[in-house]
Amino acid sequence: MTAAATRLLVVDDEPQIRRFLKTSLGVHGYDVIEADSGAAALRMATTARPDMMILDLGLPDQDGAEIIKRIREWSKIPIVVLSARGEEAAKVAALDQGADDYVTKPFGMNELLARLRAALRHRLQEQGAEPVLKLGPLQVDLARRLVTRDGQEVKLSPREYDLLRQLVIHAGKVLTHQHLLREVWGPAHTHDTQYLRVYVGQLRHKLEADPTHPQFITTEPGVGYRLRLDE
Amino acid sequence: MTDQRSDPGRELRPSPDALLEEAAQEGRGRLKVFLGAAPGVGKTYAMLEAARRRKAEGADVVIGLVETHGRQETAALLEGLEVLPRLGIAYQGHVLEEFDLDAALARRPALLVVDELAHTNAEGARHRKRYMDVEELLKAGIDVYTTLNIQHLESLNDVVARITRVRVRETLPDRVLEGANEVELVDLTPEDLLKRLAEGKVYMPHLAAHALENFFRPGNLSALRELALRRVAERVDDQMVGYMRSHAIEGPWPAGERLLVCVGNDPLAPVMVRAGRRLADQLKAPWVALYVERASTAPQRHAEEALALAERLEARTARLVGNDLPGEILHYARRNNITQIVVGRPQPGWHRMFVGRALADALVERAEGIAIHIVTPPRPERPPGRPALPALPHWSAALTAVLGIGAVVLLGMWIPDLRALPNVGMLFLAVVLVNAVQHGLAAALVSALLAFVAYNFFYTEPYFTLSVAHWHDVLALVVFLVVAATTGSLAGRVRDQMAAARARMAALQTLYDFARRLGKAKTPDELLHAVVLQAHRLSGRPAMILLPEQGELVIRYAWPPEDEIEAADKGAANWAFNNIEPAGAHTETLPSARWHFRPMRSGGPKSGSGDAVGVFGVLGAGGPLASDLVQTLDAMLDQAAVAVERIAFASKAAQAEAMAETERFRAALLSSISHDLRTPLTSILGSVTALRRDPTQFDAAARAELLATIEEEAERLDRFVANLLDITRLEAGTVTPKRDWLQVAEVVDTAARRVAKRMAGKRLVRRIRHDLPLLRGDFVLLETILVNLLDNAIKHAVNADLIEVEARAADGTFSISVTDNGDGVPPDMLPRLFDKFFRIQREDRTVAGTGLGLSICKGLAEAMGGTIAAESPAVGGRGMRFTLRFPVEQQPAPLEMSEARA
Repeated sequence: MTAAATRLLVVDDEPQIRRFLKTSLGVHGYDVIEADSGAAALRMATTARPDMMILDLGLPDQDGAEIIKRIREWSKIPIVVLSARGEEAAKVAALDQGADDYVTKPFGMNELLARLRAALRHRLQEQGAEPVLKLGPLQVDLARRLVTRDGQEVKLSPREYDLLRQLVIHAGKVLTHQHLLREVWGPAHTHDTQYLRVYVGQLRHKLEADPTHPQFITTEPGVGYRLRLDE
Repeated sequence: MTDQRSDPGRELRPSPDALLEEAAQEGRGRLKVFLGAAPGVGKTYAMLEAARRRKAEGADVVIGLVETHGRQETAALLEGLEVLPRLGIAYQGHVLEEFDLDAALARRPALLVVDELAHTNAEGARHRKRYMDVEELLKAGIDVYTTLNIQHLESLNDVVARITRVRVRETLPDRVLEGANEVELVDLTPEDLLKRLAEGKVYMPHLAAHALENFFRPGNLSALRELALRRVAERVDDQMVGYMRSHAIEGPWPAGERLLVCVGNDPLAPVMVRAGRRLADQLKAPWVALYVERASTAPQRHAEEALALAERLEARTARLVGNDLPGEILHYARRNNITQIVVGRPQPGWHRMFVGRALADALVERAEGIAIHIVTPPRPERPPGRPALPALPHWSAALTAVLGIGAVVLLGMWIPDLRALPNVGMLFLAVVLVNAVQHGLAAALVSALLAFVAYNFFYTEPYFTLSVAHWHDVLALVVFLVVAATTGSLAGRVRDQMAAARARMAALQTLYDFARRLGKAKTPDELLHAVVLQAHRLSGRPAMILLPEQGELVIRYAWPPEDEIEAADKGAANWAFNNIEPAGAHTETLPSARWHFRPMRSGGPKSGSGDAVGVFGVLGAGGPLASDLVQTLDAMLDQAAVAVERIAFASKAAQAEAMAETERFRAALLSSISHDLRTPLTSILGSVTALRRDPTQFDAAARAELLATIEEEAERLDRFVANLLDITRLEAGTVTPKRDWLQVAEVVDTAARRVAKRMAGKRLVRRIRHDLPLLRGDFVLLETILVNLLDNAIKHAVNADLIEVEARAADGTFSISVTDNGDGVPPDMLPRLFDKFFRIQREDRTVAGTGLGLSICKGLAEAMGGTIAAESPAVGGRGMRFTLRFPVEQQPAPLEMSEARA
């Protein structure tokens, strides 16, 4: 084992999925270890000390959100969950418990790798976040509260700026509606998604070239929003 | 004989008799009867088969007489059996072939087969009836197999005639069948029998074609079949009792009583019938309700109703015609082994009492060995509409009589010319008539008597005495009295008839009211409601209707509203439902219940004879229901029963339709799965195996092609599975849309991203105003709808290069449309586009969809409270447009909107 290799714990009860993940992620330099149940996952999370984790939400023995909660009690390792379409509620629950991101099954390898990279980068960022985010023509300077597009300053209301700031801090990562509402409007408004719809719309108008076809702030149907980073 | 009751019936014999009977059987031939419900059920066939079996067992079997009626199968069974030659008897110039009794007795086989037990022999034969021939054979120790149709049984003759409207002339005393050692029922369902009839396999002699038609109706056949089955069942019971007696086994068995209830054509008739039923129940005896008709043309409503009631109460009914009432009754009683007779003494009134007493007394005098019960009706039972004729004169009647007669006397005193009999007589007569019309016959008679006395006292010599001097005065007085009585009684009868007419009018009015309500009732439920209300109005008591739901009777309607009844009432209701007889308060069954329940009998020939569709209940408090009310109620309940049946049929039909729909869906789903899952799997598996087998044979381009195929097909598979999930959820009704606030532009964008990779050269244009209000709905569901609509346009819009998504809000409606500029679809296809698994057949069959996408769109749109419509052509005679419409809801208060605009 080389020191550089990221140790990745794959938790899925389907051996075919574990096999395919182990093989393809191994090619990309991950050191993959496997667990086939929630109990095994919890055990290996402590004994094998993985650097990150892929967790299937459909485990037969334990609820995915519960496993995340138990792990989050003592560990901050990035967790990407796997779940099927139509199970938005489960995804949101997992994210609320502290999962970093999700991938909808069936998924392509590109998508999974992107999520893994984003989650890992985010953890590294937390240790010393860059104050300036550059995204194509867009530049956000969190220290100076300055947003520019093609060098021109974009005037944002305080709420718009708070919303953008949340997305920038967690760039590349999905943020649930509840998370954004709580951070921007306060805990009393976690169900008022209409604010989000309106403000995200306004942000897009100010930042995007074609607001009906946004490139930076993307919608995650039924879950939340994401500031997309160029891969 | 230990039993003191002298009884002609054989069932009453105590065990010594039973033993004697068994002993008597010894040395006697055994009789086996093959009993059928109707001609053509296959009795002769069954009998011959049995005979052949006996023959095969080695018995000496001879055919005495068998009518094959030209049936091949039957004739075939005769082969190999010895057949006695028939006896020719000359009769009116013909030679009739008959059974040769003497030849049979001389031949003396162990078993003789003789068809048609009820046959009447030609004149000149030894016995008039064939069963007598058979008796002789049995006595000679020869076993006999024979056949019989149930309609030939004497006791059932009337019943059969009434059922079939065909009077069977050849009858057989019941005792012959009862004396048979074995009865085998040859049973055939009416359907099968009718089939045989249609095939010409049934031969019925002595019947004209139309009578034959009358006879072979399914209803008749069912009734006859029931008679036959019942008769055999009774026999089995009798045999068991006989066995128990001869083996001194104790146990409850029918006491062997037979009860006869005499029914007259008067209001007492139903009372008699019910009394008879009660007595019969106590005695556990079979019972007969008998009506002796006099040769008269008077309507026999009471008798008819009473007999119908008796039949419902499981009596046998019979009618005789004759003038010697007691004679006819006793004759019938003796012939039918009746042990007890119930007779009524109709009215406490004097002239009826006379007749009633005469009959009862005559019966008591002449009925040797038969117990007579006399029933007198309780006074309040007198039904309205038929007031007792000699009603006691009222106070006012007496007063008008005295005043009227007094006035005439005074008038006569004042005007001496009036004193002559013809003059004053007319005046007296006027008084009598007035009284008769006003107060009835009794008042008329009293007035007449009073007038007679007054005339005698005041106007005949010697005056002021009650003695008469001239004989012609006496004659005049008598004539006067007779005229007074006759006119008075006539007038009284007119009055009574008027009262009866009024009562009938009142009943008619009630029915008319009810009929009008029925006419207004548009649904069966409304009708049931009307029945309950009307019953409540008529009876002045709470009423309800209970219907079975999931195997349990529940209150469907009650007035005043009531949603529960006590356990005892529930029991009574259930009993009434299951046994199709009234139960609960004022009945013999569960009388402690608070409610009185009457079954609602299903009507119509289809439902057969004896299903309850529900139960009607009325509160028992306040005494039993008046009999005319019961009649009206029952008439209403018949109507209601039809309604209930209609409800049941309708819901059954709906269920069947739903099941058929589910079935169709499943079938389509299965065929879709097998086709639409396999196609992509085949491509994937093919490509993968090719790549694995010859990894070096493919150049980079070919490998890329195969890999692209795998990816695309896997994605297609994923979409199909997603569609299947959606349609299954919709079918199962488990789609519960969220009610979020949505930016339509956002939803359109995510949908567009999902189809972006497979646009197949078509351009997507969005026309979405940025100032649209928020749409209330479920993001994921709306996205699914749009993806499906886009997919549909991509795959199925032939010759299209442009797909346009437009969203607008106007007049409180959101419309989101997806339009292509392809060839469009034929207008006749439009209505079917949203059907599940509907695909447009195209000649080249290039792009085959799953037929699910659009039906999912429709289902999801409707689940979200919206609609979807299709139009073609859309623009400039080309293309196809799908438009989703949702209501624009009251927008949420946009918090800090002003701040946001800063």
